[in-house]
Amino acid sequence: MQYSQKVLDHFMKPHNVGKLEHPDAEATEGSPACGDQISITLNIDPETKVIKDVKFQSYGCASNIATGSIITDMAMGKTIEEAKNITWKGAADELDGLPPVKMHCSVLAVDTLKKAIKKYEIEHGYAKAEKFSKQTIVEELKKVIYPGVGEDIVTLKMVKYVGFEDGIATIDVEIPKFDKYRDNIAEEIEEHLEAFDEIKEVKVTI
Amino acid sequence: MDRIYFNNCLTSKPAPEVVKITTEYMKNRYYFPENFNAMGTATSKNLVKAKKIIADSMGADSKEIHFTSGGTAANNLAIKGYLTANSHKGTHIICSVIDYPDILTNAAFFESSGFDVTYLQADNEGFIDLKQLKESIREDTILFMTTLGNHTVGTIQPLKEIREILDSAVQKITMHIDACEAYARIPLNVNELGIDLMSISAHKIHGPQGIGALYQRNGIKLGLVQHGVNRMDNLQTGGLNIASIAGFAKAVELAFDDLDANITKIRELSDYLLSKIESTIPNTLLNGPRGVKRAPHNINISFDYIEGEAIMMMMDMFGVSISTGSACASQGLKPNYVLMALGRNHEQSHSSMKFTFSRYNTIKEIDYTVEKLAEVVKELRSRSPLCN
Repeated sequence: MQYSQKVLDHFMKPHNVGKLEHPDAEATEGSPACGDQISITLNIDPETKVIKDVKFQSYGCASNIATGSIITDMAMGKTIEEAKNITWKGAADELDGLPPVKMHCSVLAVDTLKKAIKKYEIEHGYAKAEKFSKQTIVEELKKVIYPGVGEDIVTLKMVKYVGFEDGIATIDVEIPKFDKYRDNIAEEIEEHLEAFDEIKEVKVTI
Repeated sequence: MDRIYFNNCLTSKPAPEVVKITTEYMKNRYYFPENFNAMGTATSKNLVKAKKIIADSMGADSKEIHFTSGGTAANNLAIKGYLTANSHKGTHIICSVIDYPDILTNAAFFESSGFDVTYLQADNEGFIDLKQLKESIREDTILFMTTLGNHTVGTIQPLKEIREILDSAVQKITMHIDACEAYARIPLNVNELGIDLMSISAHKIHGPQGIGALYQRNGIKLGLVQHGVNRMDNLQTGGLNIASIAGFAKAVELAFDDLDANITKIRELSDYLLSKIESTIPNTLLNGPRGVKRAPHNINISFDYIEGEAIMMMMDMFGVSISTGSACASQGLKPNYVLMALGRNHEQSHSSMKFTFSRYNTIKEIDYTVEKLAEVVKELRSRSPLCN
């Protein structure tokens, strides 16, 4: 599958690029080592909770830039409650689809937006930090995309076991031996879970 | 301006003369050489002639050349053929961590079948560790293999020194070279360099796709990797790609007609691109060696703070084809293993761009490319959180 014309348009002329000078909320997700990183800054009306302005910066590939552009378009002018309903599948649909191997870009962009909103809500007392549990790990694994089909590894039932004890997260994943994405999936899982302070060690068995 | 193509190590545009002769063979001279009638005899003669053209280009004898369906088929015939026929002499093989996947996947296959493999490390310019090579040689070492003109950074391994080290062993150690990148881009004489097996590929030198050849030194025994009908010699079973063989021979003739001038031209192009990039675009890093120790057609360079697939896509929109070592553009979403083995970090690998030239490229194309590249890099850096 190739990039859609809409992806190419947003890549070549992205909307809302930059960094707000006095943001009410911000988040950065991904890392240069993994090849993609997005930073999002938001200005939010304290009365109406409407996103008045949103900007993004991207270190990443064409679809990383295009998804940053589309989700900022989608979030602009929405209340934070409405913006929280933006999904990575919805963002990909807005771009007339993404190649399966690029679906993780949409996940990263939407996740960054939601992290920024969550931080805002916690800072302003609208929400509490979630208590970390095994379910938190499962929810995080839903952000790990199997690049072969562009769907997450939980939905695809590739995750066979999730354990969490004494700060050690144990994940068993089933992927065929010669699958070219085996290493990538293991690294993705580690990258996602190591971001949690509660997790001291990640053990991935494939 | 037509599309500008700097992916000549991936595949290259067939020369017009190659297209002409290949078409002529497909139309009128398609016959197999298997009997004594007029068409069979003519084909037979032409095959002998094609073998001689290729053999002469590397200082070999015609009988030492076998046609294959490409570089990978030649590498498989060399490695699988040699190891299956010679395992009684020993089961230790040596290659390097930065070799072409044909070599590495074959090494892994034989490792899982009971062979021992030593994977040599490389320095930050891509030269394999000769001290480690010396220390790795054992009584049961039977094969050394490497890639000449590294497929990522163009490093030309010092084959004469390597041959001397291999010859210090009591037993004969066969040297197999994947020369698909280096052939017709540097002078190569199998006798002067002590090469025993060597793979070459037509489509990288303006020949047809789907045809290659293996040089097999007289006396080196190879087992069959494919059984079937024999139409030419024992190692070449199945039908013959007569038209492509003719096109391959023509491509070789064209490349070697004035090899020195071809090499000089291509090196001038790559030197020009490198100096122009380095003088116009800040924060870049050349990957691999400078100068004559590098294959003349290859420039690999990293651009700080931005990601290679984005550079590649934007340059593509401007009509320029280049490739990247970024994980985002790779099959398994992994950073380029050669660059990582050379000590580059993930970011440098993700931001690496490879330009590979042919004799059909021009200075004008490079001027346009660098002008656009400077714009692209500036634009992508303006979007990057790493430099804002």
